[in-house]
Amino acid sequence: MEFAIISALNGVTYGLLLFMVSAGLTLIFGMMGVLNFAHASFYMLGAYVAYAVSSIFGFWTGVIVAPIVTGLIGMAVERFLLPKVHKHGHAHELLLTFGLALIIEELVKLFFGDFPVNYQMPASLRFSAFHIFGADYPFYRLFIGGVAVVMFTALWLLLTRTRTGIVVRAAERLPAMAEALGHNIPMVFMFVFGTGAALAGLAGAVAGAFYPTNPNMGLELGVIVFVVVVVGGLGSLKGSLLASLLIGLFSSFAVGLDWSLAKLLGLVGLGEWARSIGGLMTLELSSVSATIPFALMLIVLLVRPAGLMGERN
Amino acid sequence: MKRFAMIAATSAAALSASALHAEPLKIGIIESLSGAQTSTGRLYANAVAYGVAQINAAGGFNGEPVEVIEYDNAGGAPDAANKFRQAVADGVDIIFQGASSAIAGQLTEDVRKHNLRNPGKEVMFINLGGEAMELTGEKCQFYHFRFTTTAPMRVNALVGAMKKSGDLGEKAYSINQNYSWGQDMQAAVQTAAANGGYEIVGEVLHDVNKIQDFAPFVARLKSAEPDTVFTGNWSNDLLLLMKATGDAGLNVKFATAYLDQPGNIANAGATSLGHYIANNYENAATDGAFAEDYKKATGHYPIFVEGHSAFAVGALQQALGTLDFKGGDINVTSIAQALENTTYETPVGPVSVRKEDHQTIRPVVVSKVVKNAKYPADGTDMGFETVEVIPGEQAIYPVQDSCKMQRPDS
Amino acid sequence: MTNMRNLILGAVFLVLLIAVPPLLDLAWQNALVNILIASLFALAFNLLIGQAGLLSFGHAAYFGIGAFAALHLMIAVENGLPFPTPLLPLAGAAAGLTVGLIAGYFATMRSGVYFALVTLAIAELFHSLAPRLEGMFGGEAGIASMRMPWASFTFGSMLSVYYLVLAWVVICGLGLWAYTRTPFGRLTLALRDNEQRVRFLGYNAHASKVIVFAISAMVTGIAGSLLAISNETANYSLFASAVSSQVVLQTFVGGATVFLGPVLGAAAFALFSFLVSDLTRSWVLYQGLIFVLVMLYAPSGIGGVVEHHIRNRKNLDWSRLAGPYLLALAGGLLIAAGVVFLTESASILFGEEYAMARQGANGGLPAYELFGLIWKPLSFVTWTVPAALLAGGGVVLMRARREIGAIWDSKGHGARPAAKSASMGGAA
Repeated sequence: MEFAIISALNGVTYGLLLFMVSAGLTLIFGMMGVLNFAHASFYMLGAYVAYAVSSIFGFWTGVIVAPIVTGLIGMAVERFLLPKVHKHGHAHELLLTFGLALIIEELVKLFFGDFPVNYQMPASLRFSAFHIFGADYPFYRLFIGGVAVVMFTALWLLLTRTRTGIVVRAAERLPAMAEALGHNIPMVFMFVFGTGAALAGLAGAVAGAFYPTNPNMGLELGVIVFVVVVVGGLGSLKGSLLASLLIGLFSSFAVGLDWSLAKLLGLVGLGEWARSIGGLMTLELSSVSATIPFALMLIVLLVRPAGLMGERN
Repeated sequence: MKRFAMIAATSAAALSASALHAEPLKIGIIESLSGAQTSTGRLYANAVAYGVAQINAAGGFNGEPVEVIEYDNAGGAPDAANKFRQAVADGVDIIFQGASSAIAGQLTEDVRKHNLRNPGKEVMFINLGGEAMELTGEKCQFYHFRFTTTAPMRVNALVGAMKKSGDLGEKAYSINQNYSWGQDMQAAVQTAAANGGYEIVGEVLHDVNKIQDFAPFVARLKSAEPDTVFTGNWSNDLLLLMKATGDAGLNVKFATAYLDQPGNIANAGATSLGHYIANNYENAATDGAFAEDYKKATGHYPIFVEGHSAFAVGALQQALGTLDFKGGDINVTSIAQALENTTYETPVGPVSVRKEDHQTIRPVVVSKVVKNAKYPADGTDMGFETVEVIPGEQAIYPVQDSCKMQRPDS
Repeated sequence: MTNMRNLILGAVFLVLLIAVPPLLDLAWQNALVNILIASLFALAFNLLIGQAGLLSFGHAAYFGIGAFAALHLMIAVENGLPFPTPLLPLAGAAAGLTVGLIAGYFATMRSGVYFALVTLAIAELFHSLAPRLEGMFGGEAGIASMRMPWASFTFGSMLSVYYLVLAWVVICGLGLWAYTRTPFGRLTLALRDNEQRVRFLGYNAHASKVIVFAISAMVTGIAGSLLAISNETANYSLFASAVSSQVVLQTFVGGATVFLGPVLGAAAFALFSFLVSDLTRSWVLYQGLIFVLVMLYAPSGIGGVVEHHIRNRKNLDWSRLAGPYLLALAGGLLIAAGVVFLTESASILFGEEYAMARQGANGGLPAYELFGLIWKPLSFVTWTVPAALLAGGGVVLMRARREIGAIWDSKGHGARPAAKSASMGGAA
């Protein structure tokens, strides 16, 4: 019970962090059909900008400046780079963002080195939120989750309740029609891309102070974020929230489970046989918990490519 | 015209001079100088460069300064294989490497095959950091020397020192990375249980440097209620684990192998206080003479792997001192044999090579993180205080049965 | 006529490939082996993207599988199995084909971005599971073997490995080229351009795609097995995403639409990494910059630009073009020099050694050495040099681009290779 409750708490907060990063990615894909390989790089960039700024102007300034910087860079990418390859199709857009990811990672290494940098949360946030089963629960984890919830609500309201949201959704469904009605569609796209990048930057600025900020953080999270977005349904904000929580909870619980195929087969009396085979059969779930998300993504892609909540292929 | 004559004269002089030159000893450093392990690779390269500078300051070898060539293996075994061939083409005699067991495995195989195929042109490999047991087990060979500890040595030292200082407790937990090094650590923790008088209340092997969130592991660890947590984790896996444990406010002692990796102390902050590490060398365990000299040469005190890597070159220097090729061809097999018979006195104690498997018998330093340390780490006020220096004979473990070494002289 | 000339050109090239390597040292022979393997890998990869329009982000899976299969066979040979060493890549081919058929069956159920994601997920599965399956992949240390003599060949020297690799690469390359000429090869082209139409013509689009995928995986497996033969080891890092992305970079920089384009890209990158990777720590950054510039300004890659010129060679006034092209080259080199200067300066100024030097200088900014000269970080000159290089290069390049554009447009040959000069500028 104790393990279940703590794991659930951890899973939800980690899931919310995943959501913060994946929200921007899914927004961009939903609107523009561009699978942005550089998205996790914006996450990393956000953490580094926040680190650089906060070392001079304090933590909160860093958290505010980081999304602005990444948002502006995102807008520049959308405005100046993507249109150049747009006519060659989505594959080229994807390849361009892939190249950008490479460059951003290397530039970060160039200026900040290969070590993790010392980006810390302020002492005012470093306290225990409550005491549970003899262990402290860090407030900052709740803070990360809270930022994600606020972000989700704001995005949701913006898209469904405001005039801007209507224009954005119109631009997604019927860009030609929206343009004919006098809306500046390229502006809308640029705004959306910038917002997506800014969200990733904000996630980096907030999470980088809790998890180490290092040049591999984008790479490490990037693939998982793809999994989230695919499982949730490319382009579906609700879907990626659901998938983030699912994967967060899964990776939290998998750690405590020593299940293996051999154990499963043991239930029907084939345990000995399975153990004699070894290999895949005896791998414990806890030792392959990082593998499972990819298997999940593969299954979703093959069985239901629209994902849990997506509407189209 | 006059200028032309001068050029001709100088080049002729250079030519005749080079004809008289002896064959220099060439050292190749095949390290991770780009990619994720760059920072560690750089430290190994720095230390070897320092060590070679010492040899050259003492007059070099074979009448020539020793040459050092750096090769970047980009952190991968295939690239290391390429760079090994490049090194052979450049005439390298001795290879140094440290930042990965997988690469050490590739290099020791490459060296073995090269020596089989090219008798008389042998190359030897000094392993500074590949701690996988199989390198002195199944893969052991005459031309490979391991100048660092292995998991049993570190764990034995930790158990001994922590027991003496009363920090060990009766319940131990082992959390390690799921690959040979982590598995070696886990096995070593099991082996040492009887001696240390503790019970293992939990064991975890997890993915290597892929986990973002260690809180679930800490939840599992917490429910086992251990006193001491043994971990061979390095890089992110150690940092995240310690931070998550610190955030949960758990009162456990960590017994680690890589807490001294640069950035760890600064990043973990006060969370790291009171935890233990066993490694090859610590400045605080010495009279400081070596540390000061190193600082004079490189601008900083030796950190992380720099100390013991410099000593490996020191041992080589001592071995070279017993040889004289009279300016002629360099015989790597003789150097290897000389190195086998070398006992090198480091500031923390003697280091010698065990002939059966070419593992070095070496002292292990056990330290603890304290405030206001003599040699602060990462620009903080914290650092390592020596708890005990375990002599080599006490830390060493028996030769593995799997080692069947072919000797050139037998 | 053209065919004849191509044939002669090819023959001359082949003779050079056979005759020159004995004169080279071990390092160069090894570099050539890597270039050949990378070329075959890129050719196989390009069968998917260039021919069938399928962008795979997980080709490392088949490369690695091929390597491990060949190595397991090598171990069997070492233990006495009578199997000729030169035929070891057959194991890679078989393994690549088998895994390719299975993976291809599932992957080609999807298209576009989804296809790319399926291939990515498959490769990640291999990468994360391989170190766990020690029996097959030997843990993180991998498995190792040794080339056994066969007939009168010992395969001890790099040179003999080179000839073995060369033979396999030439045979597979010719096979792939012949494949593109078969009716089925034409069909895959049609799949890329208009899948709907292929279906209406009565072909089974899915089955065709699976076959293309499997062939590509098979040849990739051969490339992997050649690497295994050369290195005599393999470990799970062969499945890493870096391997997958490297082949994507090479293929697109070389040009996916031209048959030999990927070979150009692979050769250029492998050669560069051999020559440059020990000189600079920013090698990967330059690779990324080159890739992005090519994507932006020459989407058909180096090969596409070259082919475009060859196709129009009769209609072009080369004497008029030569000047502006040289100008463009000069501009590109200037910009490249500026970028390299800035990058290397940053790499020094933000590096660890400089931080130590600063400690030595009590927090001041000591001068640093670059390209054999001493530069002061706070001096006006230090930053004027790269600024002048960049600005000058930019101006020269703009002018060259205008002139080149005018000449091409006056020929009325439709789209000229968009700002070829810029791609050349990146290639420094």
